[in-house]
Amino acid sequence: MKKKFLWAPFAIALTLLSEPLTVKAEVPYETYSYNYYSEDVKQPHVYIYEETLNFKNFDTPLSSPQDMFVKDDIFYIADTGNSRIVKTDPSGELLLEIKWASNEKDPLSKPQGVFVTDEGHIYVADSGNGRLVEYDGNGKFLRTVGRPVTDLIDPDVVYVPQKVVVDHDGRIYVTAYGINLGLIEFNLEGEFQSFMGAAQVSVSPFQYIWKNYFSTKEQRARMATIVPTEYSNIFVDENNFIYATINNLTNADMMNGADAVRRLNPTGKDILRRLGHYAIIGDLYKSEDNKWSSFIDITATDYGCYFILDNANGKVFGYDYDGNSLFVFGRNGNREGNVMNAVAIGANADASMLYILDYQLNGILSFSVTDYGRHLLDALRLNDMGDSEGSIREWEEVLRLNSNNEFAYTGLGKSFLANGEYKKAMEYFKSGNNKKYYSKALYYHRKELMEKNFGKIMALLAVLVLIPVTVSIVKKIKRWAGEVKCDMSKN
Amino acid sequence: MRYVQELKYGLHILFHPFDGFWCLKREKKGSLAAALTFVVITIMLTTFEKQTTGFLFNTVRLKDVNVVVDILTVTMVYVLWCVANWCLTSLMDGEGKMKDIFIAMGYAMLPLILIRLPLIVISLVLTSEEGTFYYVLSNISYIWTGFLVFFGTMVTHQYTFKKTVLTCICTVVGMGIIMFIGLLFFTVIQQIITFVTTIYKELRF
Repeated sequence: MKKKFLWAPFAIALTLLSEPLTVKAEVPYETYSYNYYSEDVKQPHVYIYEETLNFKNFDTPLSSPQDMFVKDDIFYIADTGNSRIVKTDPSGELLLEIKWASNEKDPLSKPQGVFVTDEGHIYVADSGNGRLVEYDGNGKFLRTVGRPVTDLIDPDVVYVPQKVVVDHDGRIYVTAYGINLGLIEFNLEGEFQSFMGAAQVSVSPFQYIWKNYFSTKEQRARMATIVPTEYSNIFVDENNFIYATINNLTNADMMNGADAVRRLNPTGKDILRRLGHYAIIGDLYKSEDNKWSSFIDITATDYGCYFILDNANGKVFGYDYDGNSLFVFGRNGNREGNVMNAVAIGANADASMLYILDYQLNGILSFSVTDYGRHLLDALRLNDMGDSEGSIREWEEVLRLNSNNEFAYTGLGKSFLANGEYKKAMEYFKSGNNKKYYSKALYYHRKELMEKNFGKIMALLAVLVLIPVTVSIVKKIKRWAGEVKCDMSKN
Repeated sequence: MRYVQELKYGLHILFHPFDGFWCLKREKKGSLAAALTFVVITIMLTTFEKQTTGFLFNTVRLKDVNVVVDILTVTMVYVLWCVANWCLTSLMDGEGKMKDIFIAMGYAMLPLILIRLPLIVISLVLTSEEGTFYYVLSNISYIWTGFLVFFGTMVTHQYTFKKTVLTCICTVVGMGIIMFIGLLFFTVIQQIITFVTTIYKELRF
């Protein structure tokens, strides 16, 4: 008895020590997603905050950076406040600094956009000077692309390029301040080609009638002109499609579920799939401080998942290829791991790291993917590749970690549907609240049942029809027989 | 056996509302018991429907199904309509007594039962593309019931068409007023109870 008592403290100490000591700080935000009923449901973290890269070791630290491009874990930052472009890696080593265009007498001025092509050429939107500048991978000046030569832009309008992307064929697309005709497209030689993907104007009939027939001239002058929306940022994906975000939407637009993201094909047509339960506008409700999401940047994986950065509430919205909301995380705030004024988002090749550039913190916040996030993204990737077995495996893992994930159920259901297990598929689609696919599975299940039980059904029908018929015939005969009997008795 | 006959009589009303409601009242072909049976079945159907309708056509979340609420909804609508209708028609030279109205309205619920019950089974085998069948039948059940309520009122009170329309509209308004007064009453009662308990507490301590 005494012995046992003596051992007890040791045992407790031992158990305490054997606990894993690598306890991470609490993640300073919540991760959730919207379910079928438009409720925000908490889910495991998909990305966890790692660290903030402040680049304190630079001679001049970053000052109000506006844009960032991530390529193979190397950052290219448009350091707007210092009028330079910085190339750096996650360890904070300054790899390259670009301060001027062709020579030292021709400095950059407040560049707001930076882009790096496949072969490593750096394109800079030199906003203050109204031009684009191209450098090679070593920062050697190659050329400038000036103001687009066109009558479509009023000569009085100052040309301020803001964001630039170059697709895989070398076409250059630019968004410019105050130009709402769409993206400005330059060809390989840097000549103006056309405007692309102008955002459509949406005018309600009431607005139109009121404005054109019932308002006085003074009222009309005071009314905001109905103009198409500008794009806030652009991103070119593996297949030469351009993702474009829009952020100056009105309250009414958000309530009606206007499109805040587009995926433009090379002819400028919006081909974004919108098969989710609700419009792609970020949060479905206003935040506590009465703000809608305001999309400022977007990055996409090669299997069609895209991550949108929301400047208003400092959140990242993950969507899959069909436009389903996968997850939402992040928040605005002063805590470490929260953002102050997020302006750009980037991901590395396999989306295992997400990077957010903060205008106010003058640094980059890095987020690493969790196991749960890895399985979720892998399931989508394998599904996109057509590897249904692999994706089943991943979806099962996702479900093990989060049984609330509707997409996992739908994903598994799809695999069962493809394998011909309709009954099982139906159950999964029901759990995933997916009526469209449930209907499809039901159709095949019904067909299968009918084919299998055709004989039985026909037999049942025959019995149901035959029995009454026979009964009535028998009755008739009896009655006839009865009549005969009656007649006989009369006789 | 008479009870079964009275239930069966509902089928006659279904297709011959004018004769049906006439004989219901003058020849006592139906009874309050049969009418209330239909109401009870309708209540059961409402909850049953919410729980067993096929996934594709079920708009109700299972989590939100509340039997008490269902019972109260149907009963409230039925009783409120009948009472409001009686209040009005007794002022507007209606011939129906309170009991007649309750019986007629009970019988008018029959199409809901007869159509929506098989509809539950149908909803289990239909796909989304064939959903039109479901929605058409579902709407028919409501419209049919609406017709029966209308003609039931008309025949029971010996009204003209125009007067019936007016009565129906006024009945709906009347239901609203009754509900408003009821709420008011409950609020006042609540206030009084709070007041009394407060005084009691004050005196006690």
